[in-house]
Amino acid sequence: MSDWTIATLAAALAARQLSPVELVRDLLARIDRLDPTLRAFITVDSDGALTMASALERELGAGRPRGPLHGVPMAWKDLCHVPGLPTSCGTKTREYFIDERECEAVRRLRRAGAVGLGKLNMTELALGPFGDNPHHGDAQNPWRAGHAAGGSSSGAGVAVAAGLVLGAVGSDTGGSIRLPAASCGVAGLKPTYGRVSRAGAMPLSWSLDHLGPMTRTVADAALMLGAMAGHDPADATSSRRAVPDYGAALARGVAGLRVGLPENYYFDGVSPEVAAAVREAARAIAGLGAVVTELRLPDPQPVTETASIITWCESSAVHARIVRERPHELGPVARARLEFGFHVSALDYLQAARIRARLTREFVREVFAEVDVLLAPVIPEPAPPLDRVKAGAIDDVVARMARFARLTRPLNGLGLPALSIPCGFAASGLPLGLQIIGRPFDESTVLRVGHAYEQAAGWWTRRPPPARG
Amino acid sequence: MTEGDRALRAVIADARAVIERVAADLALAEEPWGHLATLEAEPERE
Repeated sequence: MSDWTIATLAAALAARQLSPVELVRDLLARIDRLDPTLRAFITVDSDGALTMASALERELGAGRPRGPLHGVPMAWKDLCHVPGLPTSCGTKTREYFIDERECEAVRRLRRAGAVGLGKLNMTELALGPFGDNPHHGDAQNPWRAGHAAGGSSSGAGVAVAAGLVLGAVGSDTGGSIRLPAASCGVAGLKPTYGRVSRAGAMPLSWSLDHLGPMTRTVADAALMLGAMAGHDPADATSSRRAVPDYGAALARGVAGLRVGLPENYYFDGVSPEVAAAVREAARAIAGLGAVVTELRLPDPQPVTETASIITWCESSAVHARIVRERPHELGPVARARLEFGFHVSALDYLQAARIRARLTREFVREVFAEVDVLLAPVIPEPAPPLDRVKAGAIDDVVARMARFARLTRPLNGLGLPALSIPCGFAASGLPLGLQIIGRPFDESTVLRVGHAYEQAAGWWTRRPPPARG
Repeated sequence: MTEGDRALRAVIADARAVIERVAADLALAEEPWGHLATLEAEPERE
């Protein structure tokens, strides 16, 4: 398992070198062996996975492969509704989120041949960047036990890094795909807002939620995005923009592309190891032929505050019922974070929404007149120990969360595509992440830069100890 | 008011202050709807 990617595995399956059923059996045994420690899964769907794998094997035998994801094992963050499986959203309520519709992003992947192995652990109600969970156990960083996996798509980061699945669907409202991707040393893409349907997934904040792929490689993320993206009539906020062939752009390289490194904000308060790794990645990308320059960005603070106001209000509205009727069922941090929206006025919310449009237009026109993509760190420090992130009063915990997500949250406010890929390792052995940010709906260029750097640097080939067995 | 309430209100007040500063010169025509439309207004890349 350790050496497969979606691309290579799908090819082996299509060539009948591997059986989808045997592959799923092997992975289920692996999950059985490793997951009691890793805590990547909330629900393992052995029966469903084997039934799907059997059907896919018959289709291969009949010469009817569905495409590049045929037989590829994946899993879904436990806020994606899948018929027949509970969706806890990381709460203690087994079926917290019920929808008559299957999560559209998952449905499209399953239609393309992906095999769902189950539902993945997450921070309670997606409200936190460290991946700890008081009800289902803290997801463990596979590179160093006892360290945060990042959140809130914690189980997705762990499952991909540890070789339990080849791809996962996560969600990102303030960094929740990119933070676990960086913490666990895998690729994670937050697409442009509206690129992937949010239908059938628990909302945290309707205006800032994004679903996206988490994979070992950028090429795998491109494959998944190609299947997931596109307008969905069930999601009024999904874009009608045509979905390009994301894989076709990957091989174009980066020669002549203009790449920006921020002079302000993104390196403030970042550990020396993180800063050095990101700057070294920028030098490597320049060495591949890109033109890398430093530039001053519009201050991200206002768009971050608009994102905060909007998220507070919308998440409180979504979860008002449990906060009012059954607050004791929530962990203290989720309860504290959901309090905010009850104290923000409609005037604050509407003004935030109005200025968000202006700030986004200004950012895009100023920055992308100068560059094609931006580079930045993802996490300000390597994934911290779990006992440190959970320590202290609630106010301290919430402030610590804001600091850890400081470099990802502005991109949710703006809605721009942002990819996290490994760019090295700290002295502790924990991964470090590089963020690549692009124009609206220009995932192709973001993925292209990420692929070129990833293949040149080779960090993606390193596996954490659980993945080596 | 508890210490936690004070801290919560302080965080909200800080965010509100930033919003109000930027919103001070909003034009009447600038609406709160349609972040997707803002993103889609950017030209497609070839």
